[in-house]
Amino acid sequence: MVDVELRAKRDALEYLWRQGLSGQPLLHRHSQLIDDYLVGLFNNCPEANEDMSLVALGGYGRKELFPYSDIDLLLLHAPEAEKLLGPVTEALLYPLWDAGLEVGHGVRTIAACLADARQDFFFQVALLDARYLAGSVPLFNSMHQAFHRELIAGHRQEFLQNMMQHRNERHQRYGMHSYQLEPHIKESRGGFRDIQAMLWVSHALFGLQELRDIEEAGLISPQEKEAFAQARDFLIKIRNRLHYLSGRKNDQMFFEYQEEMAKAFKYSDTRGALGVERFMQDIYRHLQTIATTTDLFFEHVDETLGAPRANPVEQTLEPGITVRQDRLHLTDQALIEKRPHLLMRLFAQAGKTGLEIHHRSRKIVTANLHLVDDRLRHSKRMAKAFFDVLENAQDVQSVLSVMLDTGLLTAYLPEFEQIRALAQHDVYHVFTVDRHLLQTVAELKKLSLSKTPFAGVESPHVLSLAALLHDVGKGYHEDHSQRGSELAAGIGKRLGLTEAETACLSFLVEKHLFLSVTALRRDLEDDAFLRQCAEQIQSPERLTMLYLLSIADAKATGPTAWTEWKGALLLEISLKIAHLLERKDTVLPDKSQGADWMLEQVRALLGKEAPADYGILPEEYLLSFPPEEVAHHLKLREDLKNKQQAVIEPADSTLFWSVLIMAHDSTGLLAKICGTLALHGLNVVSAQIFTWEDGTAVDMLNVRPAAEQTYAEQDWRALGEDLNLALKNRLGLSHRLVDKFRTALRSPGQKNVQAAPRVVIDNVASEQYTIIEVFANDRPGLLYDITRTLADFELNIHRARISSDGDQVVDVFYTLDSFATKINSPSFQQEVSQALLHIAENLGAVKQ
Amino acid sequence: MKKIEAIIKPFKLDEVKEALNEMGIKGMTISEVKGYGRQKGHKEIYRGAEYIVDFIPKVKIEIIVDAGMVDAVVTKIRETANTGKIGDGKIFVLPVDEVIRVRTGETGKEAI
Repeated sequence: MVDVELRAKRDALEYLWRQGLSGQPLLHRHSQLIDDYLVGLFNNCPEANEDMSLVALGGYGRKELFPYSDIDLLLLHAPEAEKLLGPVTEALLYPLWDAGLEVGHGVRTIAACLADARQDFFFQVALLDARYLAGSVPLFNSMHQAFHRELIAGHRQEFLQNMMQHRNERHQRYGMHSYQLEPHIKESRGGFRDIQAMLWVSHALFGLQELRDIEEAGLISPQEKEAFAQARDFLIKIRNRLHYLSGRKNDQMFFEYQEEMAKAFKYSDTRGALGVERFMQDIYRHLQTIATTTDLFFEHVDETLGAPRANPVEQTLEPGITVRQDRLHLTDQALIEKRPHLLMRLFAQAGKTGLEIHHRSRKIVTANLHLVDDRLRHSKRMAKAFFDVLENAQDVQSVLSVMLDTGLLTAYLPEFEQIRALAQHDVYHVFTVDRHLLQTVAELKKLSLSKTPFAGVESPHVLSLAALLHDVGKGYHEDHSQRGSELAAGIGKRLGLTEAETACLSFLVEKHLFLSVTALRRDLEDDAFLRQCAEQIQSPERLTMLYLLSIADAKATGPTAWTEWKGALLLEISLKIAHLLERKDTVLPDKSQGADWMLEQVRALLGKEAPADYGILPEEYLLSFPPEEVAHHLKLREDLKNKQQAVIEPADSTLFWSVLIMAHDSTGLLAKICGTLALHGLNVVSAQIFTWEDGTAVDMLNVRPAAEQTYAEQDWRALGEDLNLALKNRLGLSHRLVDKFRTALRSPGQKNVQAAPRVVIDNVASEQYTIIEVFANDRPGLLYDITRTLADFELNIHRARISSDGDQVVDVFYTLDSFATKINSPSFQQEVSQALLHIAENLGAVKQ
Repeated sequence: MKKIEAIIKPFKLDEVKEALNEMGIKGMTISEVKGYGRQKGHKEIYRGAEYIVDFIPKVKIEIIVDAGMVDAVVTKIRETANTGKIGDGKIFVLPVDEVIRVRTGETGKEAI
């Protein structure tokens, strides 16, 4: 029996492989073995004659026969040979089938070949690799020539477009979740099909056969060729073993094979990562190398061959960066060397304009990575451009992806190198760590656009950076949150974040799993525990950031990590902690103790100095501050009485600067405060306003500087003087604000599309207060105008929260009317609402 | 043979799993479920906006045991999952006609 012979030969091949024969040599040996066998069969078949030739196609045609690959055969024949074909095909195919091989076969005349190739692009590319095996040489040659004459020559553009379209479709099909965890070595992005696609196009369009020829033709650089060849060799070995291990034609790295494969390739566990994770990391990196190289290749060829794009006008966006035919270009190598942050500016422009970066400029970025040195990593301009990408890019994921592919991201944040293409060996984490991080940034962006209870973060750039870095500590032997938080602190400092921002960043990275884990594992009705959580989280701002980060992280992890079910638990714990934190932004008083207990504490603290009129302190006020602060306020009241001057005490707390202002209550007090702060370049972020029964107002405001100035640079004394003038009605705030912001207000600017302002008056949400929400497009002095309008209506503001959501600000006021009741009359509600809308719609500015 | 279905609070899962393991019960099916009951969904108000949580997340454990074990298992789950507050969950006991292990074809007690 013949098939026994073939089987024996293939067993012998597997034996050779076990002895160490692998890579290309194994493929060639295998092809040779099948060649010899088929040629023997053909030549020994009495019916085979000079009107036929046996042709190898596809991978077999290229002599790249993997252990269980299909053997693609074509029996080419002249029309006259029709009758003899039956016995010949039987003689050729039966033994192959008996040996258990998968055979793809066709029996065609030259005319049929050409017709089929026109219909079927896959057959067309299979013919590109046609290789003569046996029978008539002239017949084979005429087919070969006819094929190139009729299908390739003059159809180069069509061939290229077909190839690119199939490539894109394949990437989509094999880009789904299941193929992330278990990559398909042949069809996935960066797999063998991408290698072949590049080789086919080079062959068909330019007559280039080998990788070396492609390099010599200048289509890829020597460095690219080197990495590409290395990646290909690695993947060949992987695929050989995968076939032998599976015992069939399997090209997908199924989860259950990964560990065994890793062991076979001698990857052993280290302290930081499992061997299998390092192994998969190498596979992903090699796939990425091929994906990047072939991407650049196809763009290059498409541009060379394709029709010129519309819009040939060249537009300079900034020195060194231009738009040409809808692609961004780096134009000035000398300028890049002089101002290397231009490399990052390129990505900022890509994010802003939504345009792609031209392939040549992507290569320029890679070629200039040596400029990214320690100094540039500390550069303010570089950091500014980088944050610009994180915060403002239209499609932040693809911009960061290209940044990662070019190598700029890891050059700028070397901490990223460790986790590049790092896989986690479980079925939960579908993406490699680096891709997961980019995805988290993108998910975060989607969240901040959609409405959640915790939308509106004061430092979106810190949150975005935390999203990008939250898993940066993976792959070390320590706890990844802890390690990540240390790395993040270093990065934050290097990127020029303030101390408070860096602390916040490091906190977010350290605690990024806190809410998700706690929501699932702890009793959400355990008040003592919730209080502990609140103490750890410290402020509503941090809670909001953690909440958003937790959701974005889960959504970016994989299809099973985020469910509505988990979302409900996460929302529940977050709201409960939020309610606790809202009572006081920094230190949490023990609410179970109540106001009486607070008074006792204060009395004890003050001792002899304790005043007699404790009754003047409202309960809500007492529950909002720790005893030490209440005592402090009482002491300050003495100053207030003696000096007849408002007291101002700024402090540099974690995320904001806080300003305590104590003054005699008067109509429009908050408006005057807001106006004076704006005049001194401070934006109010939130405010708590209390009035004691003796008419002392205690206002606690969190503020943030409008310009880049430090706490020490802020002139607090001048601010105090101006505030006191304003309170005595000796300072014309309105005209001064107009003066100060004249330029800002007049700038015609291309305003983004702005949402219409609206005002919501709500009597239901709070038991005690009427809540007024003003949604408006931000402008300097807006808060001053709004608070002054409320003062005109004699509405007292007890609490305010000012947050911005992109260009829109959302100002929320907890108010009571002059009789200390809610605003109940619908007509009055309507009047207030109209007046506020007028202010909100007025882009013009501080009027009268 | 009986099937025991227990609906419990999510954070009690680890404890219950451990307690059952100690009793020698190694296999169970666990799913995330949503429910309504006496612990109704609720409305949360935060910063002036309303958020309605219209279902309560729970965990469902399913175990098949020999009839003789039922009381002990039910008691153990009840003790472990109890917090004394509303929403602790419910336990159902259902009859099971037959159990077949797919791999071997074993049936009855052997297949549990």
